[in-house]
Amino acid sequence: MKRRIDLGLLYSRYGSYSLMSEACRTGVLTAVAEVNGDPAMDIRFVPVERDPGGNIDRYAPLCDEILNESGARHVLGCVTSWSRKEVIPTLERARATLWYVVPYEGFEASDHVVYTHACPNQHLLPLLGWTFGQYGKRGYLTGSNYIWGWEMNRLAREVITEAGGEVMGERYLPIGSTDIRRMIEEIRAARPDFILNNLIGQTQYLFLQAYADLGREDPHFGPATCPILSCNLTECELPAIGPAAEGLIAAGPYFRGGTDGAQPGRFGSSHEAAGHAAVWMLARLLNQQPGAETLPVSALLANHGTAETGIDPRTHHTVLPVLIGQVHDGRFKVRKDFGRVAGDPYLTRGRDHAMAAPKLRVAK
Amino acid sequence: MKRRIRSQNLGGARAIVLHRPHPTVQALERQLGAIGLVVEQHWPDLPPSAIAADFIFFDADLGHDQQFPWEDGNPPMPMIALIGSEAPGRIEWALNAGADAQLLKPVGDGGAFSALLTARAAFEARQALADEIEALRRRLDQRQTVVRAVAMMMSLGKTEDEAYGQLRQMAMAWRISFEAAAERLVAAQGGPRAVDAADD
Repeated sequence: MKRRIDLGLLYSRYGSYSLMSEACRTGVLTAVAEVNGDPAMDIRFVPVERDPGGNIDRYAPLCDEILNESGARHVLGCVTSWSRKEVIPTLERARATLWYVVPYEGFEASDHVVYTHACPNQHLLPLLGWTFGQYGKRGYLTGSNYIWGWEMNRLAREVITEAGGEVMGERYLPIGSTDIRRMIEEIRAARPDFILNNLIGQTQYLFLQAYADLGREDPHFGPATCPILSCNLTECELPAIGPAAEGLIAAGPYFRGGTDGAQPGRFGSSHEAAGHAAVWMLARLLNQQPGAETLPVSALLANHGTAETGIDPRTHHTVLPVLIGQVHDGRFKVRKDFGRVAGDPYLTRGRDHAMAAPKLRVAK
Repeated sequence: MKRRIRSQNLGGARAIVLHRPHPTVQALERQLGAIGLVVEQHWPDLPPSAIAADFIFFDADLGHDQQFPWEDGNPPMPMIALIGSEAPGRIEWALNAGADAQLLKPVGDGGAFSALLTARAAFEARQALADEIEALRRRLDQRQTVVRAVAMMMSLGKTEDEAYGQLRQMAMAWRISFEAAAERLVAAQGGPRAVDAADD
């Protein structure tokens, strides 16, 4: 007889970043079905879903609704850092946990969040270090106007400056903005060695299209001499970008068809893989532990080592592969594999561009 | 003044929490541990090694001056007040104790990182100001010495311009600052001729 455990889902299924939400949600629901069908697991997850519809002010009330109207103490959800920060006070009051499965800008280690995708020592730092060697150190920084872009570009500016490079420009656009003309003109004038793209949603798609057009006018602005770099671009957005995606470079823990782990090529994107992994991590923490579903995640993690769960009990960050991929014929091809790296949200181990993680058993 | 906060590496920095054992201390230790600091808790006395800590969090509710083994209000590291009771007297005491930032009790899931960066920036600004004041004070003292040296030379029949000119030449010859040359001259007390003679 399986224990029924309510599991909150808080993803925006429409709005400007719905493709990422859908990918996360797909991974989560795939894992829920697997756990529920697995006779070795004595638990059965029952999804309790709310959809904020991309409206930032709906996240905290809907998270509260999940926690009040069901028994759920674990919620999978939020795509933007802004929404994650909105729900943390709600989680804290209810001693509940958010499983956050998308890359983010680091400098956070909430006791009420588990971070199962990459932070800067697992995406930005290795990506910049590799780019400096391949393309040069003169970068142009872009971003949507919220914390992800601001913090990623702040860190990039520090790293570029320390490496003796130069920031040729830095520009932000409101989420959903379509006014990318000025950004393209600045890039044309600055002629950087690379562009760090922290735009999201529609703005990003338009920007990538306009940059591909610029590349047809002036061959400097192509993947060989001035590539566009991302730390959150995955396969889930490639259909929206179309042919303009060719040559884009991204850092991530997984690319479709990749060979990491026991299930090669299983997931559509790293968003999907991270959502799937999060549900399984939680399931293993709760399996054969009646009543564990009411404990705060810190108590669950206190009984297990990082080697067992893949989660550092101190920071709630995970050990992940660090890969750099480039879109080639519509799919990411891995260009550099840094091995597995433990998440270090406050960069306490310094800023070396990639550090090997302690040897850990790979969680299936 | 515009400050640029570099997300410096706090990994391995040593923080002391001067507070009786309490859930607030646990919550603070969790946050500091996640940020990468090494944390010690002490109450009511600081150990002698506290002088070498990188940060001190202190209880503003029950704290008193005798707990700090340094000159009143002049701690050699950034200090963060843990404030429970927001009573004016306690806030005043925490400020006088040298608080560079504060964190309200009960401490929960956040606040430590911004308190660390704020305290460090305020401490560094305080240090820079103290150094600048010290340097200006020294120059002010030396100005009196310059006036005395010039007066001494004028008493030997030089004009003011000639006295300044000769002092500048001495400084160049001795490869020291103008103020230091004046100091040497005054210390020699014998006036420029005696110094010249001694130098020949």
